[in-house]
Amino acid sequence: MKKEKTTAILRTLTKRSFQRNRGRNLVAALAILLTTMMFTTLFTLAQSMTQNMEEMYLRQAGTRAHATSKQITDSQIRQIASHPDIVRSGRSIVVALAENGELAGRQVEIRYASDQYARDVFAYPVAGRMPERSDEIALDTLTLKRLGIPLIQGQPVTLEWRRDLTSSESVSSTFTLCGWWEGNLSSYASMAWVSEEFALEACDHVSAPADGQICGLRMMGITFADAGNIDAKTASVLSDCGLTDTEFTANLTYTAETRRSMFMENLPLYGGMVLVFLAGFLIIFNVFQISVASDILFYGKLKTLGATRRQISRVLYGQSARLSLTGIPAGLLTGYLFGILLVPVLITTADGNASVPANPVIFIGSALFAWITVAVSCALPARLAGKVSPIEALRYTDAATDSGRAGSRKRRIAKKRGAALSAMAWANLWRNRRRTALVLCSLTLGLVLMCFFYAKNASFDMEKYLTDLTVADYEIDDATNDLASGYDPESRTISEALLSDIGALGSLRETGRLYSGQAALTVSEQARANLQTFYTEDRLADFASYDPTFPAWKESFDAALAGKSVVCTVYGADGLILDAAADDRYLLSGSYDAEQFATGRYCLAIGPSVEPGSDLPTYSVGEKIRIADMEFEVMAVLAPLQPMVGGSQPAFDLPLVLPSDAFLQLWPDSNLRKFYFNTAEEGLEEAADLLTAYQQNGATGMNITSRRTMARQYEAQTRSAAVMGYAVSMIIALVGILNFINSMATALIARKREFAMLRSIGMTKRQLRRMLILEGLFYAGLTLFASLLLGSLAVGILVRGMVAGGYTTFHFTLLPLLLCAPVLTVFAILLPCLCFRNLEKQTIVERLRSTD
Amino acid sequence: MRILSTDQLTKQYGAGPNTVKALDGVSLSVEAGEFVAIVGASGSGKSTLLHMIGGLDRPTSGSVRVDNYELGKLKDDDLTVFRRQRIGFIFQNYNLIPILNVYENIILPIQLDGKRPDERFIRKITSLLGLEKKLDQMPNTLSGGQQQRVAIARALACKPAIVLADEPTGNLDTRTGDEVIELLRGTSRAFRQTVVMITHNPEIAARADRMIRIEDGRIQPPCNGTV
Repeated sequence: MKKEKTTAILRTLTKRSFQRNRGRNLVAALAILLTTMMFTTLFTLAQSMTQNMEEMYLRQAGTRAHATSKQITDSQIRQIASHPDIVRSGRSIVVALAENGELAGRQVEIRYASDQYARDVFAYPVAGRMPERSDEIALDTLTLKRLGIPLIQGQPVTLEWRRDLTSSESVSSTFTLCGWWEGNLSSYASMAWVSEEFALEACDHVSAPADGQICGLRMMGITFADAGNIDAKTASVLSDCGLTDTEFTANLTYTAETRRSMFMENLPLYGGMVLVFLAGFLIIFNVFQISVASDILFYGKLKTLGATRRQISRVLYGQSARLSLTGIPAGLLTGYLFGILLVPVLITTADGNASVPANPVIFIGSALFAWITVAVSCALPARLAGKVSPIEALRYTDAATDSGRAGSRKRRIAKKRGAALSAMAWANLWRNRRRTALVLCSLTLGLVLMCFFYAKNASFDMEKYLTDLTVADYEIDDATNDLASGYDPESRTISEALLSDIGALGSLRETGRLYSGQAALTVSEQARANLQTFYTEDRLADFASYDPTFPAWKESFDAALAGKSVVCTVYGADGLILDAAADDRYLLSGSYDAEQFATGRYCLAIGPSVEPGSDLPTYSVGEKIRIADMEFEVMAVLAPLQPMVGGSQPAFDLPLVLPSDAFLQLWPDSNLRKFYFNTAEEGLEEAADLLTAYQQNGATGMNITSRRTMARQYEAQTRSAAVMGYAVSMIIALVGILNFINSMATALIARKREFAMLRSIGMTKRQLRRMLILEGLFYAGLTLFASLLLGSLAVGILVRGMVAGGYTTFHFTLLPLLLCAPVLTVFAILLPCLCFRNLEKQTIVERLRSTD
Repeated sequence: MRILSTDQLTKQYGAGPNTVKALDGVSLSVEAGEFVAIVGASGSGKSTLLHMIGGLDRPTSGSVRVDNYELGKLKDDDLTVFRRQRIGFIFQNYNLIPILNVYENIILPIQLDGKRPDERFIRKITSLLGLEKKLDQMPNTLSGGQQQRVAIARALACKPAIVLADEPTGNLDTRTGDEVIELLRGTSRAFRQTVVMITHNPEIAARADRMIRIEDGRIQPPCNGTV
C-alpha cells in the first residue's frame, strides 16, 4: 500500500518533468537512438561475419556434419544412426571418380548419398531432386558446365570411370539428369550423386572396398544436438555402440581453435562496441548531467519536502526509462537496416553474397548494451540529484560547487585585464568544469580516432603489398603448378602459341620466365651444419606444433642430415622475375651481380623468410653445388618471393635458382612453369582478354594473376576495416558535436537571467553576442589544440609503431583534423548566434522576473 | 509539553581566520501549540537557526531536539523522513513544485511518505485558507499571496510537529502579508499547531505569542513592551 502510493506520486513527478524537458528529451532520445543503432549495426556485422565465416569454414571442411567417418560398414552406420544422441546422420557410398577428359583438373566423385548426407556436404539439388532410379544422376552446375550439358532435367550425362583403380580399363555409364545445385569452387571436389541401386550394383554389392580401391567405400556424417565437445560425444556414442575400431573425425569448424580465430576476426567490431559505449556514455551522461544541473532547484525542493535520495534517483531513472523506451526500439530498427545495407559492402565471401542473420541475439544484445550504457550514464547524475543538499539547492547557480580556484582565477583575470569580453568568455568556460571537460573529451576523442584511422589506412603501401604477391601486371601459372601431386615440368599449359600471341601484343613491355624442376641432391657439409644450427630443438618443437606437414618435412630433414640425397626444387629464371627475386629487399646474405649470374656459373639459394643473418638453413654463399654434370657457385641467399615459389613443392626443400639458359641445358624438355609480363597501360585490357580467352578454350587449369585484380581484391578485403574505422570515428565526432550543441544551448538557456542582468547593467547586444561567440571559439580552439596534441601522439607513436613492417610506408598526416577544423569553427560561431537570437525574443524585464 | 529545544547550538562557516560564527551557543525551547517569532536583522543567523531546527543543515556543535528526536543522531535519509513527517516548511519564495497542481503540491509530502492524505482534514485546511476553488490550478497561475497560502496548506497537511516559516511575508505586499499572518495564526490556533516563524519585521513579530530576538548569532534578552 505504502509502496503503491509513493510510486504514484513519483510517476506523476517523472511524467510531468519529462514533459517539461522537451528539448533535452529530444537530444537524449536521439543519443540513445544513435547508441543503440551503432550497437545493433556492430552486432549485425559481427553476427553476419561469424555466420559467413562459419559457412566458409564449413565449406572448407566440406560438410556441416559434426563428425564424419570415411571408413565404416553399413551395420555400424545403422547402429550409430539409431543412438539417441545422434540428431541427424547421413550415409554415402563411393563408386569412383569421373575421368572424362572435360573434367581434368577437378575431382568429380560418383557416389550415392542419403538426402541428409547430400545436404550436409552442400550438394543437395536446388532444382529437380536426388536420383531414385538407377539411371538417374544429380550434379553441380560446375561439372555440368564443364561437360557442356544444359541445365535441363532429362538431359543425358555420360561419365567415364574405373571400377578397378589398378587397371586402366574404364567404364562408360550414361544417366539422365534429375537435379542440380550451385557448384562451389572452394570445395575440394564436386559430387555426382547416383542412386543407391546403381552404387551397389557398380561395386558388386561389396560391403567394403578391396585394398587400394574405393568402390564400395561407406561414409557417414553425424550431427548432435549442439556443437560442443564433439570428440567426447562421438567417443561416448561409439563406446555405447561397442565400436572400438571405428574412427570419426570431428569437423574442424567446431573446434575451440576455429572459434577463437573467428572471435579474433571479430575483435575490431568488439573494439568498436567499446568505443560506442564510450561515445554513448559521453553524450547521454552529459545530457542528464545538464538536466540535473538545471533542475537542481526542483530536486532540492523535493528533498526539502521530504523526498529521499532513492525517490529522487527514481524520478531520474524513470525518465531515462521513458527515453529508452522510444530510443532503443527505434535504434534497433535503424541499426538493423543499416546493418543490412552494410553487410554486402563490408563482408566479402567466396560466392559474393553474405547473408544477414535475423538472430534474436542481435536485438537482445544491442538492447541490453544500449540499456547498460543509459543506466551507467544516468547513475552519476541520479546520485548527484539524490545527494543534493536542500540548502545548497536553494542557493544553486550554474557553477561547480568547488568554485574556489575558478573564482580566484576569474578575479585575477578581471583585475589584470578589466572586464574584457574575452576574459569573461574564458572564465565562463570554466564555470562548470566537468561539463566543459566532457564536451572537450567527446569532441577530441572523435577527432583523434579519425586521425588515427586515416593515418593507419593512408600508411598502407599498395606497391609493397602488390610486389609481395605479384611482380608483374600479369602472371600465368601452369595448370599443374598447384597440384598436390606436384608440378609436372612437361605440362604444356603455357604453350608456344600463347607465348607468341603475348609476344605479338603491341603494348608488351618486360617479360620474365620461370622454369622449375626437381633434382635429387646430397646436401653439402656446410649446408648440413647450417641446418643443424638453425633448427634448434625449440624451433623444431614450435614448427611441429603448427605445421601439419611437419612429419613429412622431418623425414626428409633427417635424411638430408644423414647425408642421403633429398629431392629439391631448382628454378630457372630470367627477366623481371629474376630481377624481383634478387632485389636487395630479399637478399639475406651475399650480393647479387646480374652480369656474373648470367654467365651460368652461379646459382642463388632460397632460404626461409627470416631476417638477414649468417645462420640461414641452406647453402652458404661461396659453396659449390653439383647438379648433374654442371657446377654452380652460390652467389647469394634470398628470402622467398611468393610469385616465384608459390605452388606445390616438396615438404622439405632447399630451393636453388639458376639462370633459365643454364636450367634448359640441364632439363631441355622442361616447359614454362610460370610466365610474367608487363604491358603498357592501354594494353592491359587486350592482354586480359587474350588470357581469359585462352584459359576458357582448353586451359581451364591455368591460373591468371593480374595486378589489377589483386589490388581490387585487397580493397575489397580491407574495405570493411577502413569503412568501419571511419564510420565509428565519424559517429563519435558527431556525438561530440551533438554534445557541444547540447551543452552550449543548455548553458545559454540556464544563463538566461544572467544575460538579462548583464544587459540591464549596460552590456549591448553586440557585446553579449561577441562574448558568446568567443566562448564557442574557445571551446573549438581548445578541442582542436587537444586533438592536435593527442592526434600527433596517436599518429606519430601509435600508428608509426603499428605499421612498422608489413606492407606499409608511414606518412605523418593529420588531414582529418585539418578538414574538421573549419567545420568545428563554423559550429562554434553559428551555435551561440542561433541560441542568442532565440533568447532575445523575450524582454529583459520578462527574463529578469522569470524564476523557473 | 516541550516540543522543541536547542542546546548550545553553534554553527560555523569557513575555517581559520575566515571563520564566521552564524550561531553562537543558542539555547531555546518551544512549547506545543506556541506561535513563536524569531526576529533579527539580515545576517543575524536567524535563517541558519531555522535550517538547523528543520534538519536541513547540521550544527557544528550543540544539539536540536524536536518531538523527542535528537536530530544530530539521524542519518541523512532518516533526517529526510523525519522532515516530511514532523516539519512543515513555508518559504519566502513559496517553493511550490511548478509541475504539480495546487492539490498535488499540498499532498506531496504525504505521498512521498507513502501515506494516504486525510481528505477531510485537507478540505478543512483548504477551506480555511480559501483555496477550495484553486485546487486544480498550476502554481504559476496564482498570485503571490495565493501561492503562499498553498505553501501554508502544504505545511499543515501532514499534521507536523512544527511548522517552520522563513520570512513568509517577505515577497508579499503589506496587506497580503497581513492576511497570510492572520491565516497562519488562525490555523495555529485552530489545529493547536506549533509555528516557528522568522521575520525581520518587528510589527509582524509582535503578532506572535512570543518573540525571540537574535543578533550576531546570539539570543538577546527580551525587550520591554513585548508579550
